[in-house]
Amino acid sequence: MSLCAQNDFVRVFRVFNARPEGVLQFSTQPVNEQAGQDRDIELLRQIAGSDRAAFAEFYDRHATLMFSIASKILNYSGEAEDVLQEVFMQIWEKAGKFDPKLGKASSWVAILVRNRAIDRIRASQRRTRLAEEAGAQRIDVVDISDTANAAIHGHEKAELIRSAIVELPVEQRRAIELAYFSGLTQDEISKKLNEPLGTIKARIRRGLLKLRDQLEGVL
Amino acid sequence: MIDERTEEQASLHVLGALSETEAREFKRKLHSDRELQAFVARLSTVTGAIAGAVSTAEPPPQLRAKILAQAGEPQKSILLPHRKPSLLSWLPWALATVFTTLCIVLNVQDAQLRKTLANQVKQINKLNQLALTLQSATNDLQQTVFALRETNRLANLKIAMLNSLASGAPNAIAVSLWDNEKQNGVLVTQNLKTLSADKDYELWVMDENRNPVAAGVFHMDASGEIRLDFKPSRAIKTAGKFCITEEVRGGVASPTIKNMVLASN
Repeated sequence: MSLCAQNDFVRVFRVFNARPEGVLQFSTQPVNEQAGQDRDIELLRQIAGSDRAAFAEFYDRHATLMFSIASKILNYSGEAEDVLQEVFMQIWEKAGKFDPKLGKASSWVAILVRNRAIDRIRASQRRTRLAEEAGAQRIDVVDISDTANAAIHGHEKAELIRSAIVELPVEQRRAIELAYFSGLTQDEISKKLNEPLGTIKARIRRGLLKLRDQLEGVL
Repeated sequence: MIDERTEEQASLHVLGALSETEAREFKRKLHSDRELQAFVARLSTVTGAIAGAVSTAEPPPQLRAKILAQAGEPQKSILLPHRKPSLLSWLPWALATVFTTLCIVLNVQDAQLRKTLANQVKQINKLNQLALTLQSATNDLQQTVFALRETNRLANLKIAMLNSLASGAPNAIAVSLWDNEKQNGVLVTQNLKTLSADKDYELWVMDENRNPVAAGVFHMDASGEIRLDFKPSRAIKTAGKFCITEEVRGGVASPTIKNMVLASN
């Protein structure tokens, strides 16, 4: 670990260790991935038909992941609740637009939340500060049993996922996190990291492809 | 085979790092490229895993009920405080209901009026046909009446042939056509002898009482033929016989019997 990364680790470790007491501890039992995906598709189909029971079940399955993403991007502000409401209403109204060919339902809702939270940041004057903070909050220091992946994929797979992320070269992971959690465009990342645009694109591509290859058979 | 540039775009796409223009262009490309769709789906799963690597944050318990309640509301607007329905809030609905009812009533009335109008048009057409039929019948009747009148007029006509009584003109002959209704007639003669300048022929019509009524005088030239429109000097109820006498020029008040040259039977 580089000196810079070590400094980051020390700086943010206190933040992640300071989570409130009483938060739900997820089971570390692995879950049946394919059955879960099929169930999500079925639930979204039922939601498209205005099935409230299906909507409630879908909420229970994904609300924690979605709220976690919104909270991370919005720095755990109260706005995460608003984002969650907006996205769930979006799902209620547009569940029929979900296309399983383009990814899992969990990935879809994660993108919906991420985009909605990023929109909030972009609409406010807090972008620079939040972007800095989001960039500083690294995921390698989070207790594995305290991650949404542990609930979705089980403890072992969550560990594999985090290992794959941690093993990425720091510059690749940094570019990916700035794009995903801070909502920076490729140009903005280039300026922020003071690197050529082509370099940023290449880092992001190589980083994601490496993760894809390492997580083959895991996800 | 997906090239390196497209892979870069797909990577930036799943991270939401493309500009709006680039994102629109990429989505168009994605829409028609199944291989690219599969590639993007795999990368989305990866970004989903990255998202899931953050520490969990539980949403407030009351948020679930709030969201589920919103999903059940007819209007899915978010964060609007619940208000008790007031009288004014029902006003637009009431107006809409009244308007709808009015539209229905007007529509029904319109349909009824159209039906009535169609029936009336049908009746008018029937009446027009009846009028045409009646007009045709009237024409027939008028023709019948005209024919009857003609028949009646013919009935009023009296045709009489006047034969010669004079030995000096045995071939003389005349035909009288008398219209009793119009009280006039036509006389046509042939082979009458020429008279001296101091004499005229005089036509007489015998009335219902067999009294002679002067009907006109005429002078005969060498041709022996004449066509004379005549009218008696007084009205005759029923014309009896016709006769022609030879009289002094200008005629006389009473016929000279011995000088009768032509007479009808």
